[in-house]
Amino acid sequence: MLEIRNLHVTVEDREILKGIDLTIRPGEVHAIMGPNGSGKSTLANVIAGREGYTVTQGEIRFDGKNLLELEPDVRACEGLFLAFQYPVEIPGVANLYFLKAAVNAVRKYRGEPPVDAMDFWDLVHERMELVKMDESMLKRSVNEGFSGGEKKRNEVFQMAVLQPRFAVLDETDSGLDIDALKVVADGVNALRSPERGFLVITHYQRLLDYIVPDHVHVLVNGRIARSGGKDLALELEEQGYALYNEEPGRARRAAV
Amino acid sequence: MTAVAPVFQNPYRLAFAEFAANRRELAAVARLRREAFARFETLGWPTRQQEAWRFTDLSALQALTLQGPTDAPVEAGALPTLETPAHRLVFVNGRFAPGLSRLREMPERVLIASLGQTLLTQSRRVELYLDQLPGLAQHPFVALNTAFWEDGAFIHLPRGIAVETPIHVVCHATGGDSAVHPRLLLVLEDGARATVVVEYRGQGRYLNAPVAELALGAGATLRYHQIQEEAPRAFHLGGIRVRQGRDSQAQLHLLSAGGQLARTDLEALLDGEGASCTLNGLTLARDSQVGDYHVRIEHAQPRGTSQQWFRSVLDDKARSVFDGMIHVRPHAQKTDARQTSRNLLLSRQALANSNPRLEILADDVKCGHGSSTGFLDPDAEFYLRSRGIGAAQARAMLVHAFANDSLNQIRLTPLRERLARLLATRLALDITEGE
Repeated sequence: MLEIRNLHVTVEDREILKGIDLTIRPGEVHAIMGPNGSGKSTLANVIAGREGYTVTQGEIRFDGKNLLELEPDVRACEGLFLAFQYPVEIPGVANLYFLKAAVNAVRKYRGEPPVDAMDFWDLVHERMELVKMDESMLKRSVNEGFSGGEKKRNEVFQMAVLQPRFAVLDETDSGLDIDALKVVADGVNALRSPERGFLVITHYQRLLDYIVPDHVHVLVNGRIARSGGKDLALELEEQGYALYNEEPGRARRAAV
Repeated sequence: MTAVAPVFQNPYRLAFAEFAANRRELAAVARLRREAFARFETLGWPTRQQEAWRFTDLSALQALTLQGPTDAPVEAGALPTLETPAHRLVFVNGRFAPGLSRLREMPERVLIASLGQTLLTQSRRVELYLDQLPGLAQHPFVALNTAFWEDGAFIHLPRGIAVETPIHVVCHATGGDSAVHPRLLLVLEDGARATVVVEYRGQGRYLNAPVAELALGAGATLRYHQIQEEAPRAFHLGGIRVRQGRDSQAQLHLLSAGGQLARTDLEALLDGEGASCTLNGLTLARDSQVGDYHVRIEHAQPRGTSQQWFRSVLDDKARSVFDGMIHVRPHAQKTDARQTSRNLLLSRQALANSNPRLEILADDVKCGHGSSTGFLDPDAEFYLRSRGIGAAQARAMLVHAFANDSLNQIRLTPLRERLARLLATRLALDITEGE
């Protein structure tokens, strides 16, 4: 469902991704691991359509459509979701209002009428339990004053409500204690289905104990250095990224 | 009285002579008018060489030949209501419209009435309070209002009386290049309490130059709302004077949304220990609208607190001006004065001028001011869009959130909800709350 071919991306004239090839089929969970600065978040942001990234070569296709030609909101309406590494605080916009606006935007894109208020409420409550989120968070402004764990939980909650066909999780585990990590993983696992694909980006193997991937890729210095099954994550846990640092300098330091 | 703006002086002098000759009123009031007109002639028409008018371009107004106000019929349905029981006073072109007004039962000795009518029946009461507050002495349009006012609201609450029913004053102008000068006189004696909503609106092209005088006795509480929704081609040049006694509390909510040029000068004198003054200003401007606030808070006594929150949302080539002075006199120790001006620019051509000023002559005070001007947060916009929300709606949601911070401070629920709808309409935003 997601095909990335020979993707080269620069940020402020510096090449960050240097030829990524990746194919993810429906129902698969792929993990991308790598040291800081290897380009993991760049990949997530390019898929979601954030400004400031220039694709110099290659393409990304989502169910055959040229993803790079679509506006970020159209990508979301097509069924793409990004769980942010750093969810943005938006004072003055209530979480629930925001979610409803998002759900209705997607429905409108599909030519469906706005969601029925009762149906929406039921869905929200069901999904809230999935990520063990407190109801008071619905009335609060989006992410405002949320703890790190609450923000990440809110990301998974949004994903659970929006039910995308393909989700990218950008270091959703960073900054979480083990209990929060389990809650987040349970939320993701509950959404796994034969139709839905996931790209899980993480620095640590830990998350992959709970979200067991079908494929693991090691991203180093803008290239996929190695791909394998879930055991590759365990191997990395033991050996670290140092093995993959062929080029001295930045990446090596960052891997420590 | 030499060297005044000659182009402007003569027609006004003629108009004043005619106006004054036709009035039958208390000698003291007639004298106030003459003195005010003389003051206007001395001050002259403001120019941009004057510091206080540096950012206010009056040339479009100056090009008009202004007429005196006329009587014109106005449909009741065209005027806003508070959607809650209220004492209602309506003025059309600065003149009382009894047929559109409605006063409800009120406590004994409370006066909520037309200032013009009160001048006929209780002239001493008017003389006692009219034009007695200090401040804005150098403001030519305040002087013009004092010379030319015909009517307005007079609200007088005796000691210890609370009027819970909101007092709704609607000033409507019907255009025709007329100049209207409504006057509002509000006196809250010690411990009195009132909620007042003043709305300025109209149609066509005109100058509205209102003056409000708000006197608060010791321990008095005022919630005051000024909703400026003048017609798009109108000019609004208003003055507000406030004097506060010991431990009094004044909350002023100032919304500026209409007019091609709208400026309000406000001067508040915290004249009693522990007085507290809160100003919550919101300017919404687009096209080439100018929204302008000049504020001076005068801390004259110890332990006073003042808070100013001024926000503006500027689209197209719109411009906002905020000039805010906090002046703390030597005697006013333990003053706590804050001032914040935040401006949100929605276009590259929009411009916000912010000029916060402090003059502190006491040594044991807490004073602070901050000012920020910027565009919408691109990260927040991307976050909303990444969830499927289109670019236009995402931006509208963020603007709404910024402005709503101001509206949320209004406790008068039906008014707050009406203003939230006005804001949503201007942003073309559907704000059916998700609850």
